[in-house]
Amino acid sequence: MARFAGRKALESAVVAASRHAGEADDWVGGANALLHANAGETALLAFLRAVDGGDGFGAAGTALADICRQTNAGMVLTAIEAWQRLGRPHWWATLTRLAREAPESLALGLNHAGTALATGGEAAFADFVAIGLKAGGADAARRRRFFALEDPLARRALSRGENSGFAVNERRLAAFVTALLGRVPFMRPFPAPPGRPPARRVSIADGVILFPDSFPGAPADAIDRLYWAAAAHAAAHRMFGASRWKLGSLKPLQVSLIGLMEDARVESLAMARFPGLRRLWAPFHVAPAEGGTAPALLARMARALFEPGFHDPHGFVVKARRLFDEADRTDPGAMRAVGGLIGNDLGQMRVQFNARDWVIEPAYRDDNLGLWDFEDEPQSSEAIELMIDAARIRQEEGDDWAEPAPGRESVGRARPAHAASEESIVLARYPEWDRAHGVERLDWTCVRAAPPRIGDARRIDASLDGAPDLRRRVRRLARSARAGRLTRLRRQAEGHDLDVDALVEEAVRVATGEIPDGRVYRANAPRLRDLATVVLMDVSESTREAGVLEMERLAVSLLGDALDATHDPVALLAFASDGREHVRLTRVKDFDEPFGTAARGRLAGLESGLSTRLGAALRHAGSELERRRAFRRLVLVMTDAEPSDIDVTDPLDLVEDAARAVARLRDRGVDVLGVAMGEGAAHRATRIFGRAGYVTVARPDELPRRFADLYFRLSRR
Amino acid sequence: MTKLAPRPSSAVGAFFIGSEPYYRKIGDEIEIYEAAYRERLPVMLKGPTGCGKTRFLEHMAWRLQRPLITVAASEDMTAADLVGRYLLLSGETVWRDGPLTVAVREGAICYIDEIVEARQDTTVAIHPLTDARRVLPLEKLNEQIAAHPDFQLVISYNPGYQSAVKDLKESTKQRFVAIDFGFPSAEVEAEIVARESGLDIDVARVLVLVAERSRNLRGHGLEEGASTRALIHAGRLTRQGLSLKAAIESAVVLPLTDEDELRGALREAVDACLP
Repeated sequence: MARFAGRKALESAVVAASRHAGEADDWVGGANALLHANAGETALLAFLRAVDGGDGFGAAGTALADICRQTNAGMVLTAIEAWQRLGRPHWWATLTRLAREAPESLALGLNHAGTALATGGEAAFADFVAIGLKAGGADAARRRRFFALEDPLARRALSRGENSGFAVNERRLAAFVTALLGRVPFMRPFPAPPGRPPARRVSIADGVILFPDSFPGAPADAIDRLYWAAAAHAAAHRMFGASRWKLGSLKPLQVSLIGLMEDARVESLAMARFPGLRRLWAPFHVAPAEGGTAPALLARMARALFEPGFHDPHGFVVKARRLFDEADRTDPGAMRAVGGLIGNDLGQMRVQFNARDWVIEPAYRDDNLGLWDFEDEPQSSEAIELMIDAARIRQEEGDDWAEPAPGRESVGRARPAHAASEESIVLARYPEWDRAHGVERLDWTCVRAAPPRIGDARRIDASLDGAPDLRRRVRRLARSARAGRLTRLRRQAEGHDLDVDALVEEAVRVATGEIPDGRVYRANAPRLRDLATVVLMDVSESTREAGVLEMERLAVSLLGDALDATHDPVALLAFASDGREHVRLTRVKDFDEPFGTAARGRLAGLESGLSTRLGAALRHAGSELERRRAFRRLVLVMTDAEPSDIDVTDPLDLVEDAARAVARLRDRGVDVLGVAMGEGAAHRATRIFGRAGYVTVARPDELPRRFADLYFRLSRR
Repeated sequence: MTKLAPRPSSAVGAFFIGSEPYYRKIGDEIEIYEAAYRERLPVMLKGPTGCGKTRFLEHMAWRLQRPLITVAASEDMTAADLVGRYLLLSGETVWRDGPLTVAVREGAICYIDEIVEARQDTTVAIHPLTDARRVLPLEKLNEQIAAHPDFQLVISYNPGYQSAVKDLKESTKQRFVAIDFGFPSAEVEAEIVARESGLDIDVARVLVLVAERSRNLRGHGLEEGASTRALIHAGRLTRQGLSLKAAIESAVVLPLTDEDELRGALREAVDACLP
């Protein structure tokens, strides 16, 4: 019988093949190959049926034959099924490669091929496989882990990273939601859970709005609008949402339904306030008034609640509409009750509902997992368990995004730039003043380059966002500085305008018989900025208390943020010492380096610790500046003016040494200014910097503002 | 010996305000100003651009029937521009009073708008008028004029634009009585916009809704949100036949920012507000 069926299929396939003249040979060749590979009749039949009425089967047969040889006949069937389901992609070369080099991972690869294809077509899939083969190498177990998406590298490979829809749109989406809400939203890319493909819907967790990298399956031209619509929907939840509900003994269908009602509720309130949102969301409600499966009914209901003009006679939908309209929309509890009722109805209709595979439609709506409180739930069903799992994964991953409380530096993950080695690079040796003997000891201190710890640059961005007024102010200072200080010259021999007072005096001169000098004009002369600065940040142990390090960070960030307006060369160095042989200097930013992600990361990674050997740091800053060509050179030191170190018993020694260092620098034409923090600092600061050489900042939170003011004031001269 | 220029018979006649300028009361600003004027105390009007400071003062000047002399301060302004200078007229040097001096002599209200724009060496010219002395020294004439009993000095000051480099000295600020101007409540602002642009109150409300969205972005990409004046412009454009969307685009979105991403976000937010 099988052979008979085969012949019949063969016949119709031949007819089809003859229509695609030229490919016929390939096809025959392919079928033959399969035959010779002992793929078996089932596989051959499947191939023939797939070939029937289709195209692109030229390379398919040969590839499938390969697959059969490397794996087994069953895999051929799987491959054919996936090929048809995913729209017959041109992926045979990739599949063949996968079959040959990682046969154990072929099934897994096919599993996630859909996501890869949705991300970026066949090229993305080929890329994904290439990365997996390279990462896994000869280790079959590692390869399996990769293709099972248990390796974070695999998940990243499937996401589009910097080119993802979210990353590209993030800034404008954040501004949009801020404009609607009146506060800045926390928005993050949605991390892919291990072992699972990337997220397909927005999710709101603990006040953070998580966006998927893309919306797989959506047509490319709709994706932009999807992001706007999704952001607006999330904003609607934030505007009108309630506190989380307990799951109790709710079944998955009811949970989904209540979520749907809440969606309709917050959207309707949002549209009352912002009528244009209807235009944003309407194009995504396309469910027809047909279909009796659970997903279909839910989609119909969603549309009916959104669109009063949508005609749907199904009793369930009609009832849902009626109850929705009658309920008080401002009361989340009332709507939840309605959802529960409708959920019961649907449950009694015995509609099949597979919570695991169901994805919320329309695509701009979030998965509503943020509505529920998943703590200590008596386990009700596997589906609920799955939802809980998903939420838990997000919550665990979410711990990293929590805004660090001011002063708590341990939250951002800092990792050293390379393997920790105690032998850091020696930068220079400097002398130090021996107060007891009144002499300078040569080569006494050793300044070393400390490998920077890379923190999370986002923290710097976040702290800048958290101080918008300061930021504006500093940027304005920078802009007016850049505008160039115009000197207004009066009584010039030539210029753009008359100096009226000079003109009058000239007339007086003429009238009294004196010789006129013709200098009756006004002119403007631009004054160029030519100054190079080193900012020294004290990161010793004493900066740990009272949030001093955090304020230093913010002060420096504000300056760095504003400096691209002026192109001033500014280097940022952090110093802390561990004895005279280990004065550690971390280069946060170099003179001509922009204050970008790298510098911000290094700034975020700074941690308080060790001691303050101020003199050595100053001398080094001076030598760095001497290598720069600039008209003016400036060192700004942020410190509590309490130099000390573990191998120095009398603190006055280092105070004296610091004073000498300052004097030396000034002799060589480098200006030194101290920013002395703390109430007791004035006395020591006078000794070190001279009466006019420092400013005090009594409380750490004044530091950012004063520091910026100081810099721009100094740099004006 | 100096010759004063012959002054027109009514030096400040032109500065009286003839008809009532529309002003919508928001808080107790009218009472405060009247009390300050009765004491002839100098007044500082503080607030962002386009929220009614100048209109308020015009209204008060009309209400009190006093002439109002306005000076727009700028970086180029010198003390002579305020106080006066010698000019050459037919080969002779003659003294011409500046606007401040005219106000001081004739008892007008002198309004220095955006005073923070002026240099500090210019601003100090007003100090002697702001304390109990109420005199204006004219060094070039070797005179000190005592202010007319009806003279009052008013300045406007936009706090958002201060900087360490360009700011009013504390010693200057403290001489003034301050009145704060912000954006009024949505309903009141809609009234103002409707009145000034001739729009329906419903459309005005939409404009105010849009303005609030932009003000939410202040500090998060925008320097300032839309001012009431910008809304009135948008309204007037609609009266000339532009669609509301186009009017908002030209009067609000485009002037506020040049960045594509912010414009995109603003447009989307504007669209959400349109019915």
